[in-house]
Amino acid sequence: MSSIKPTIKVRTKDVIAIHWFNAFFWLTLVLTGFGIISGDFVRLAPAFWPTFLQNVLGGNANLVLLHGIGGMVWAGVIGVYALLNAKRVVLPFLKNVLVLTPKAAIADVSSMVITLAHLFGLLKHKSVPPQGRYNGAQRLLGTMIIACSLAIAVTGMYLFLSPMLLDFAASAGVLGGVFRWALVIHLAAVLLVLLGLVAHIYFAVVEEPESLETMKSGEAEVAFIKHHNPLWYAELEREGKV
Amino acid sequence: MVAKYVMLADTTRCINCKACEVACRAEWDTPLGYSRDWVKEVEYVNAKGLPEVQLFPGRCQHCDDPPCVEVCPSGASWKREDGIVLVDHAICSGCELCVPACPYEARWLNPVTNTISKCTFCQPRIDKGLQPACVDTCVGRALIFGDANDPNSEVSQLLKAKEWQKLVTDEVNIGPNHYYYTAGKAIPDTVMPKLNERHLSGKLMENIVNPLGTLGIGGMMAVFLGAGIKKLIDRRQDVSNKEGSHEQH
Repeated sequence: MSSIKPTIKVRTKDVIAIHWFNAFFWLTLVLTGFGIISGDFVRLAPAFWPTFLQNVLGGNANLVLLHGIGGMVWAGVIGVYALLNAKRVVLPFLKNVLVLTPKAAIADVSSMVITLAHLFGLLKHKSVPPQGRYNGAQRLLGTMIIACSLAIAVTGMYLFLSPMLLDFAASAGVLGGVFRWALVIHLAAVLLVLLGLVAHIYFAVVEEPESLETMKSGEAEVAFIKHHNPLWYAELEREGKV
Repeated sequence: MVAKYVMLADTTRCINCKACEVACRAEWDTPLGYSRDWVKEVEYVNAKGLPEVQLFPGRCQHCDDPPCVEVCPSGASWKREDGIVLVDHAICSGCELCVPACPYEARWLNPVTNTISKCTFCQPRIDKGLQPACVDTCVGRALIFGDANDPNSEVSQLLKAKEWQKLVTDEVNIGPNHYYYTAGKAIPDTVMPKLNERHLSGKLMENIVNPLGTLGIGGMMAVFLGAGIKKLIDRRQDVSNKEGSHEQH
């Protein structure tokens, strides 16, 4: 006898597509970005990586061009998608995920600490507070990714376009100074997101493969939601969806 | 063997005619007020109480460990196998992180190209088998250029024949490939390289953002690798416990 677990559609095809588009471009942009930075003082990847990538692509100029165009495609597609789907997808997502008050941040940090401690068999006596659609760690990560992505897109465009369009020498060092700070912000934001992505990928692949499945099919098991996200389950119940 | 290009400056033969600077400006069409090379004049009173002038023709020293290459975020500053330090203008952003990194103050932002300019030992001329423009024009034969790895080259012979000095200090010793002959006179401090104050943004990136980011990502990976291993061990424990209880039944 086959046992089919009841599921519910929680993600539309376009949301799934934009998630994987984002993931693919992140991977490409991180790999090419780490290949551009060659100097020992500022390099982020082992020395072989920039050399290898620059050789494969026929020089750093091609790599910079690929990274810059890739970055603009990434920011452009996500920006247009967000504009076209502001009401249906973006605003509800932001409402669910943005951590804007200190009280919410403290609650989410506390929930995240308990979740992480449980991974190592610690704080067993403390249970994770009931979660809505996104748990504390996901909300903190989501807020950080949104803020960092905006910073990455803006600084990235300045880094790519300003040397071509602006007169650095005539600005008495101002535009060059902005360029250098944009570089620092760009790098810091990328590293922050990467920090979060390590946890994001671990949970999706190891701890909760059900959520990875949802990001492929759009379907989530009702029992999984009931167990992991009781507040969301109650909401779905109220809406008559489960 | 790959060439190792060096420049020799015999300060006793320099007459400060500035022909080298003029030739360099003409060769590279540098904007007014800018030059890729220079002649520093140092005036002092000698042991006999007489005024004396020492002349030091200078330019990029094409160092073995060039800090300008180390700090360049785009890889536009690079070093050829033969030791010549170059700037790839197609990818130089003009961010000027390399400018204070050079202790010889050999780099500047070109207001026409918006990229960094510096001496390249006239690399296009060298590749054609010619001498750098400054060397070709030097009326006193004070500048001599060539391959130090070729034992038959003039520079190799001269390096063996005379006592040459480099512009290095205890603080700055990055392997310059520019030699000076002063006939035994000490090189004045004013000519020596100096560590410049770097841009705050560059220091922040180098000393805080990059190390913290790398450590943080490494730390996170270690933490979650640990969590994964613990999960595996717990699962094995569960399975063996279950198998044990089945056998008892």
